[in-house]
Amino acid sequence: MTIIKDKNIVDDAWHIHQDDEPLLDNSIVNLTYWLENRDALKASQQALGLLVDGDADSHSFKDDLSCFAIIAINIPVFADGRAYSLCQLIRNQYNFMGEIRAVGDILPDQALYLTRVGFDTLEFENKTLAQLAINKLNDYSVFYQPA
Amino acid sequence: MYQYNDIDQTLINERVEEFRDQTQRFLNGELTEEQFRPLRLMNGLYIQTHAPMLRVNIPYGLLSSKQLRMMAHIANKYDKDYGHFTTRQNIQYNWPKLEQVPDILADLASVQMHAIQSSGNCIRNITCDPLAGVSADEIEDPRPYCEIIRQWATLHPEFSYLPRKFKFAVSGSPKDRAATQVHDIGLHVKKDANGQVGFEVLVGGGLGRTPVIGQVIAPFIAEEDILSYSEAILRTYNLFGRRDNKYKARIKILVRETGLDKFKTQVDAEWTTIKDGPLKLTQKEIQRVKAQFAPFAYQAPASTNAVCSTEKNSGPFRQWLKQNTIEHKQTGYRVVFLSLKSPTQAPGDITTEQMNTVADLADQFSFGHIRTTHDQNLALTDVLESDLFAIWQQLSKAKLATANIGTITDMICCPGLDFCSLANASSIDIAQGITDRFTDTAIDTGNISLKMSGCMNGCGHHSIGEIGILGVDKKGEQWYQLTLGGADSHDSKLGDRLGKAIAKADVVDAIDNIVHVYKEQRTTDETFANTYQRIGIQAFKDKVYDNH
Repeated sequence: MTIIKDKNIVDDAWHIHQDDEPLLDNSIVNLTYWLENRDALKASQQALGLLVDGDADSHSFKDDLSCFAIIAINIPVFADGRAYSLCQLIRNQYNFMGEIRAVGDILPDQALYLTRVGFDTLEFENKTLAQLAINKLNDYSVFYQPA
Repeated sequence: MYQYNDIDQTLINERVEEFRDQTQRFLNGELTEEQFRPLRLMNGLYIQTHAPMLRVNIPYGLLSSKQLRMMAHIANKYDKDYGHFTTRQNIQYNWPKLEQVPDILADLASVQMHAIQSSGNCIRNITCDPLAGVSADEIEDPRPYCEIIRQWATLHPEFSYLPRKFKFAVSGSPKDRAATQVHDIGLHVKKDANGQVGFEVLVGGGLGRTPVIGQVIAPFIAEEDILSYSEAILRTYNLFGRRDNKYKARIKILVRETGLDKFKTQVDAEWTTIKDGPLKLTQKEIQRVKAQFAPFAYQAPASTNAVCSTEKNSGPFRQWLKQNTIEHKQTGYRVVFLSLKSPTQAPGDITTEQMNTVADLADQFSFGHIRTTHDQNLALTDVLESDLFAIWQQLSKAKLATANIGTITDMICCPGLDFCSLANASSIDIAQGITDRFTDTAIDTGNISLKMSGCMNGCGHHSIGEIGILGVDKKGEQWYQLTLGGADSHDSKLGDRLGKAIAKADVVDAIDNIVHVYKEQRTTDETFANTYQRIGIQAFKDKVYDNH
């Protein structure tokens, strides 16, 4: 997997936690795991991230956002646009100041749309796609919508 | 009309290059068909029965003569010398080559046109009243607001992958000529007690498989809030609209399943948080756009009776004047409709030569502007009464003066099975049959709106025609379901099913029988809708089915 941030490919310490693994620092836990182990995880003092699906009900985690350094939103199919509105809510309505990452099925052609709604980092399957996405981020120099 | 500034032009130029890259990657095998599909649809490109079909936006149905000449150029260079106007005021080309589409888009960009979001699950072309700016009953010209909404919707980062397509229509008059009640969002310009301009907002209307009349979600949203309110509706729809079944993915289903009150609560909760944010329109921005739609420099009329000299009293001219022109808010001018329903062409079709002729006539007689209408016709909206005879003569030569506006032969019709890969049945040959049968009697019969779709997706708006015809497939054969009593004006209504579907060979006779019942039963000057309402469906049923 290759991560891009600010039009660059970057190294990344975060990893998606599997339910049966021991919890390491810089783990991104899924929403179900979080809801089941919330108290223990809060006490662990480790840097944590949260993985939610694009169609997740934001009310189930919005009060916990301060526990996380990163929110990863999974896009199951690239044509499913719910993640865009969810990211917007997390950033602008819930004022989450940490990193928001798009993971899952993403086309390089969507990189600009994703970053414009508030995603900081995007995860691609390989370097070729990540590089193409960086190029596509330069497709437009003007926009109609306010930033 | 609105003239692009540097930002507008840069954006569409960059869109052309983006699509050129996407097309090339698809042709190189770097994008799969599945990946390319939404990308090409968002630029108006379908893969149809014979070839790709490219739909080009005509924002709120307004074209300059220069733009229409470019449409003609594209029809000539890349297509088979014709184009087809749609019910949403756009134009479609049925025969372009995929690899040439980026060049077509570049040609369009050179005259401030594009195909952005003319298809796909995103916000489509914003449509409006074809008489905007010239109609006496207008509260406020809707076109500046259409342009403001168009810009906000264009390449919107959050709303480009919606559950399904999303259509806006805006009307500036109490009499709705934009079918706003059958759009995802319909806006009616209103003024409050203080003279403040705003909109009554309708939501959840639509045709297709489940036709629904839109409901009022907000009685008055001030003009400066229209983008934030629209954004709140779109966000609610994007988050909660169904994605498990494409036939249940339109906002009308979400509104129905959620209930209007609860949906409104959700929208209002969202709106409260963004209402005073960056989407709030400034008077400066509203005025900047409005200034580009200022009225033309109309002349004072030379005489009060400019059309009525004896030489102009020929029957055909009189008939055309009565049927194809209507009054203008400015004394001395009339609105001229150009019928694209001549007996020799498919409804809505126009040739390269005709497009060039219309562009010339617009320059000569109507300030260089042309409108496309929801009924798949064109209009030159600002013609001096003293020029009417001259323009009629030229329109007649170009076969654009068929005196049938509003009559049964002025039907709305989709391309049907001949072109469309979704269709179950053909439309064009049925249209031809109806035209042949009624050409001589259409005017005497009076105005009847006939609308026809080749499948239940309803591009021909059959459900809101006074007479609706829907093509259906029955074990591989083409059959037609008739409906009566629909309406698309300010009081939209879905038509009632007449009875079982009718075989292709019998459709024209069935329509003839329906018209016969109307003519027999109507009182003086009674419209089809009123007669139908008064006598009910049974008399029509008896006549149509007893003969079979």
